[in-house]
Amino acid sequence: MSEIRVLHMYADMLDLYGDCGNMEIIKYRCEKRGISCVIDRYSLDSEMPDFSSYDIIYIGGGADLEQQHISADLLRCREQIKAAYEGGTFLFLICGGYQLMGKYYRDADGNDIPGLGLFDYFTVAPSSRKMRCIGNVVIRTTFTGATVDVVGFENHGGQTQGVKAPLGEVLCGNGNCSKSRYEGYYEKNVIATYMHGPCLSKNPEISDYIIGYCIDRQNGAHTELAKLDDTLEHDCRRVMTERLLKK
Amino acid sequence: MNRLLILIGKIIVGMLRLFGRNAGNLPGIILWHLTGGKCCKMFKVDCPIIAVTGTNGKTSVTNCVAQLFEQSGKKIIINKEGNNLDTGICSLLLRYCDGSGKVDADYLILETDESHVPVVYSQMKLETLVVLDFFRDQLDRNGEMETLIQKINGFCKTFSGNLILNGDDPNTARLGKANPDDRNVKYFRAERYAFATDKIFEASEGRFCPFCGEPLVYDFYQYSHIGRFACLKCGFGNYEPYITASSIDLEKPVFTADGHEYSPKLNSIYNVYNMTAVAAVAKLYGIAQEITDNVISNYTVNNGRMETFVLGDRLTTLNLAKNPVGANMTLRVMNEMNGEKELLFVLNDNVADGLDVSWIWDINFSIFERVTRVVTSGTRAYDIAVRIKCAGFDPANIIVRPDLDEAVEELARTEGRKFVIANYTAVQPARSALKRYISSHGGKCDE
Repeated sequence: MSEIRVLHMYADMLDLYGDCGNMEIIKYRCEKRGISCVIDRYSLDSEMPDFSSYDIIYIGGGADLEQQHISADLLRCREQIKAAYEGGTFLFLICGGYQLMGKYYRDADGNDIPGLGLFDYFTVAPSSRKMRCIGNVVIRTTFTGATVDVVGFENHGGQTQGVKAPLGEVLCGNGNCSKSRYEGYYEKNVIATYMHGPCLSKNPEISDYIIGYCIDRQNGAHTELAKLDDTLEHDCRRVMTERLLKK
Repeated sequence: MNRLLILIGKIIVGMLRLFGRNAGNLPGIILWHLTGGKCCKMFKVDCPIIAVTGTNGKTSVTNCVAQLFEQSGKKIIINKEGNNLDTGICSLLLRYCDGSGKVDADYLILETDESHVPVVYSQMKLETLVVLDFFRDQLDRNGEMETLIQKINGFCKTFSGNLILNGDDPNTARLGKANPDDRNVKYFRAERYAFATDKIFEASEGRFCPFCGEPLVYDFYQYSHIGRFACLKCGFGNYEPYITASSIDLEKPVFTADGHEYSPKLNSIYNVYNMTAVAAVAKLYGIAQEITDNVISNYTVNNGRMETFVLGDRLTTLNLAKNPVGANMTLRVMNEMNGEKELLFVLNDNVADGLDVSWIWDINFSIFERVTRVVTSGTRAYDIAVRIKCAGFDPANIIVRPDLDEAVEELARTEGRKFVIANYTAVQPARSALKRYISSHGGKCDE
């Protein structure tokens, strides 16, 4: 039986808008297919894990205070995370997790919180804490090989700039910056996004892209994943896209 | 100028009433614009103001505190309809003030929205502030949780009145340190109850000491992040409680506070905290013991908070859940009950709900015991269906009925015990749908 190993970082601190739900969904969709899914947690008081031994590294989003708390610890893990990423481990990053993998995060007071610098983008928070990108988002994606309009919920002050390869095109909502054209960051083994909701709840194609990537990487060849009954998920997304794109 | 504004306000209130409209918020909104955002400033309030704020329990505690004074023969003004923003409070006072803006009462008892505490009480002098708890709730309206606490903390820095705080909630208790000169900070707390846990059971906020950043250490968790906590580094959490609920037995239900036994009607740990806050206010204001007794032992709710309906012959309990804590509490009550049961979950995403529904992922559905079927409804019926499915519940037993009447019909179709959970804007429509079912199919409800 195949097994997917996930390292969920800072689950006790970075869990905004149901981000932990993404783990429940990945596990659910693995187990429905007879793939075992082991989720280990890493947090401030954990021992340094072997990052490269994981198929997926997952980081959610958090309030500013929590993000400040973890940033120094995350930097301590930089080389190991970088090596895992270069070795093909999948990075799945939401909101704060997304921001912290870039060059830096400049907060509302102008202080820089250094990121891991794995990617070229950087994030600047507006000087007013009231200016936030909040609401439902719909983005058009093609990275799964098909055109899929995915739905999520964004709430971020930070404006992420210098994104070379976005995850999708914004049809409704803000995206990386206020009223921007694109949302998220994408590489073959990286999905970084501002979409909470949790992100995977209405978008089974993203879950399956991540699971499929991990299985293919283990097998060294493409394997077709067993189909699951996603009627509820698709109905859920259809209700939202119809409502949001109608306007 | 003041008189003119008051006159305009009173005319609007009068006209709305003439057309049979409840003047809940609109007069305040108009005056808010006319006064440049300072719509509470024009009133002359000489009597003490007691405000109650927090995420959960505001309405209950405000009503009970009002009863303490009312039964003591005092003239009080209270925002009963829950109009708890500055504009709602302005509309309320417009109805009760004279032409010069003078408000005639012995006490103003005001439920106040968390984010509006600094707004309202920078304009009117507050005597006592009761803060119950801070949970994730409508995050996108208030910005993040920390921003909200910072706002109230900023207000507390210069506030020297009575501050009654939930000492078992680190998010709330930290306000006690905002103004080191305020000697009127009073903490209420509760001893461990039967279903308290050693480990945290539900998703929560505030894991770290807000003063030194150390992880907080807990003796026990009552629910969510409410429990006996302390910071081992700076000592945050070590304080002398003003009043403590002990010997809590929810089977009866009874609890003891300040050496006096109370027998409330509602049997949740929530209610124990709320009533302990009420007892703290009673103690502070020297309310007669028999009045406090009377208020605490008779308080019950009839507005979708553990409200009972009988659909035909199916006993049904409806409970409001604005956030995961509220929903988890209903699931606990369901689990603590033997026999099979079915759940209807009504989920809306209107503006007052906070637009976002992802909080449902913080509900611990994996604890479901003997739940045989789930019906979902509301504007986000599918979201809650997906959530329950991914918790491992067989999707074959999940039925989505976005229309509420169809959902209630579906729920009542089978025999057995029923529960209904509805979020903020869903609770009143859910009550109406349950009543419609009862009026066409028989059964009974409390009213």
